[in-house]
Amino acid sequence: MLAPIPRDIPLPLPAPEGFLDILLIVSFLVHIIFVHLMLGGSLFSLVCQIKGLKIPDYEKLAYKIMQTVTVNKSLAVVMGVAPLLIINTLYAPQFYASSALIGDMWMMVIPLVTLAFLLAYVHKFWWNHFVNIPELHLGISALETLLFLFIPLIFMTNINLMLFPEYWADVKGFFSAMLLPNVLQRYLHFLSASVLLSALFFFWWTGRKTVQESLVLDAIRVIDIRRFFYAFAFGAIIFQILTGLIVFISLPTQGMSWSFTLSLILGGLIALPAIFWMWQNLTNSSHLLDDNFKHIIGCFVLTAVIMGVARHDYRENALADHKMAIAEKTANYMAAVKEANDEAKVAKETSKLNDAANPGKTAFEKNCIACHHATLPTVGPSVQEIKNIYANNPTGIMTWTKAPGKKRADSMPMPAFSHLNDDELMTISQYILNQ
Amino acid sequence: MVHLNAMAITHFSFKLKRGSMDFPIFHIDFIGNRMLIAIDAILHVIINHAFAVGALPIIALLEFSGMRLKDDRWDKLAYRLLKIIFIITTTVGALTGVGIWFSASLVNPAAIGSLIRVFFWGWFTEWIVFVAEVSLIMLYFLSWETANRSPEAKRKHLRLGFFLATFSWITMAIIVAILGFMMDTGNWATDRTLLSGLFNPIYLPQLAFRTTLAMVMGGITMLGLSYLFTQDDFSFRTKVSRVISRWSSVWMIGLVGTAIWYAKVIPTHMLANVPVAVTTQEYVHWNNSLIWLLVFGLAFVSWVLWSSVKHSGKVHGAKYVISALVLFAILGQFERVREFIRKPFIIGNYMYANGIRVDDYPLLQRDGILQHATYASVRDITSDNQISAGREVFEQTCTRCHTVNGVNSIRDQLKNMYGEKPWQSDVIAAYIDNMHGARYFMPPFPGNKAELNALSVYLASLQKRAVAFYGVQHTGIPTPDKTSTSTVYGKLPDLEKIHGDQY
Repeated sequence: MLAPIPRDIPLPLPAPEGFLDILLIVSFLVHIIFVHLMLGGSLFSLVCQIKGLKIPDYEKLAYKIMQTVTVNKSLAVVMGVAPLLIINTLYAPQFYASSALIGDMWMMVIPLVTLAFLLAYVHKFWWNHFVNIPELHLGISALETLLFLFIPLIFMTNINLMLFPEYWADVKGFFSAMLLPNVLQRYLHFLSASVLLSALFFFWWTGRKTVQESLVLDAIRVIDIRRFFYAFAFGAIIFQILTGLIVFISLPTQGMSWSFTLSLILGGLIALPAIFWMWQNLTNSSHLLDDNFKHIIGCFVLTAVIMGVARHDYRENALADHKMAIAEKTANYMAAVKEANDEAKVAKETSKLNDAANPGKTAFEKNCIACHHATLPTVGPSVQEIKNIYANNPTGIMTWTKAPGKKRADSMPMPAFSHLNDDELMTISQYILNQ
Repeated sequence: MVHLNAMAITHFSFKLKRGSMDFPIFHIDFIGNRMLIAIDAILHVIINHAFAVGALPIIALLEFSGMRLKDDRWDKLAYRLLKIIFIITTTVGALTGVGIWFSASLVNPAAIGSLIRVFFWGWFTEWIVFVAEVSLIMLYFLSWETANRSPEAKRKHLRLGFFLATFSWITMAIIVAILGFMMDTGNWATDRTLLSGLFNPIYLPQLAFRTTLAMVMGGITMLGLSYLFTQDDFSFRTKVSRVISRWSSVWMIGLVGTAIWYAKVIPTHMLANVPVAVTTQEYVHWNNSLIWLLVFGLAFVSWVLWSSVKHSGKVHGAKYVISALVLFAILGQFERVREFIRKPFIIGNYMYANGIRVDDYPLLQRDGILQHATYASVRDITSDNQISAGREVFEQTCTRCHTVNGVNSIRDQLKNMYGEKPWQSDVIAAYIDNMHGARYFMPPFPGNKAELNALSVYLASLQKRAVAFYGVQHTGIPTPDKTSTSTVYGKLPDLEKIHGDQY
């Protein structure tokens, strides 16, 4: 399908495009980190709560994890405003189009996130109220997690759809857009990133003395819990590599380029030492889980930054021609607008000269035409009707106009035109009677 | 390459200062597009006035009182109230704020897209302050109990509270500037800068009114909640109620003053823009509805506050609940009037509420809007397609504010005007042609005569058969045709051919 080419907003960007691009990449990375921690936190809290049915220490852990979710969820939302604002600024024609096409589900993000947050508060703040009904507590936790799992899919659908104007005419509602390539694959990659990032975070977090003390855990349990998270992190990074490869081969060709491919490969390669170290820590008894932790995080941060830049590169590749076409069309359109305005100005000057020759018509059109059409009743009776009622009686029209009564039940009352003097009123009245 | 294009556009926009934009049309036919924004925005505004800007200073005040009087009941109450504020503001409060972005982008992307280009840095600054506000409220709330461990920690904690209250107010100060701009572009029409748009004549009175209203709203809601939480300690209830009531009463006096100030500035300003005598009738009706609500509402709330000061602890909680509802209604109506008197514009003197710019009109009225709307499904009007062409014109020019069968239904409007008699398309066309003169809140019709006739035929057909209008979120966009997939079509000049290799 050929892509529609809309017009852009012809107001200048508030800053150089390159600067806004960098701001977009950085602010989006910050946002997505908190989203990962929020989603992963909710997931891990649920998992630990289920484990906690048999091992009470995990139940305490599940509660404490929800405390991090409280903070991370609010930061995820507030940090999301900047990339939203910048996307609106840089990609108005594309992003507003894709948002409208999935409009109902896009708008649903608001009540769904609100509900997820409220459930998270019920889940956390009333923890001790559910002692006799753990099933309900788990149900609330599960619903909260399901919402956190579903909502990013809406965002991914929108962000994907905006890249491919050639698909816009094929979309009817959210689900058809969600099934476009390669939303679901990207979603899986996003999911494993959430597990990876939050597992690493909770591994580090449970290593802190203050957290251990507040959880009242013995040393063996601490090791057990930390190993639990580390193992999850390792599983997640393997899954991340696999889904990453799947995303790579399923990406629509529209945005592919060799530089983009090389950045993806580079980003993936940088993660390899981290995987090696993690594997070593898990399997080799002469290594502690904490070994090389800073290096591992360093690798993943680099990978994330490279992927963040590559994402933007892909977007720019996919939309390069479309953006140029939009710019051309906008410029052509604006030239036409100018032309039409110039024509209208000339026409106005001409009619002004004609009006000077016909003061009755001018005054009538300025004051009366809004409600009194020449031949048809609109807000008030037509000029023809008035002419018939007031035949040969211009002063009658004047008197009525200065203080209108109410003759017609189904009409709006006429306001008084006391600001017009008698000369003007006579001119108008005579114009009316001459029609 | 793309940068050259941006420069070219910048060049043209500075030179021509006009243009238009087009987007697939999202539409809700039951509650209507305006109500989508209204529900979200009013909820947001009630929460941020009453529970953020208004209530947070009171929390700090209560915490301070507890420290000074060395009575931990104050502290416990302050924490309990803050918990409620925290829950409401970080869920419904925050999300309805984002919701305004979402809904405005769906309902009028042309307007919000234009505002972002002009006010990007204003909103960016606002966002920085939001980040501070969110961080501060989390710190303030989550560190409350640990701060009680030492007087030094407690002092720091209290300071946090004051910072939080200040930042909350600053976000209001920034957003009001942008709202004021939409009503009055000030020097922006000639100046086009952020600063010239920010400092318009409506700004200070609106900010003053909102600040005082927020403080009173915060006071009343905190009085109501405190009443609920002090059921078993009457002497404490008396003390708390006295402190909050006194605080609120000072602001109440301010509110009366700022309400008068704002009520004076708006009419003088808006009526100056209105040329025809008949339109003042409509305006006066709208303004009166707010004035009466203000007079009676503020009188009632003043009475409740006065009794709360005089007979602290004895005023029944229900009076606070009613006062809160009255204040919410005042704020809601205030927002409604503000939105209404901005019409027919969505950005004063620049863009009409239909999303079409003032400067686009000569072109659209000459060629017809269907020629230039990228996502239109009809281009040419013939004697056979009058109704479907008319419906297309309706979509492009009327649906931002009207529905077919829902809120602000066009069918109901026509019924009010023409009743049971057969609706005649030529009468309707004659009316719409000059409608903007009689109804000042309506934009002029942005199409040519053939389109006006087709629209009128469609509208007349609604008497017998009114099918609800579905937006692109249900129907999708039409198959792209030559006009929508080309950069040059119809009477559009091809600048590439004229100016050569500039792109």
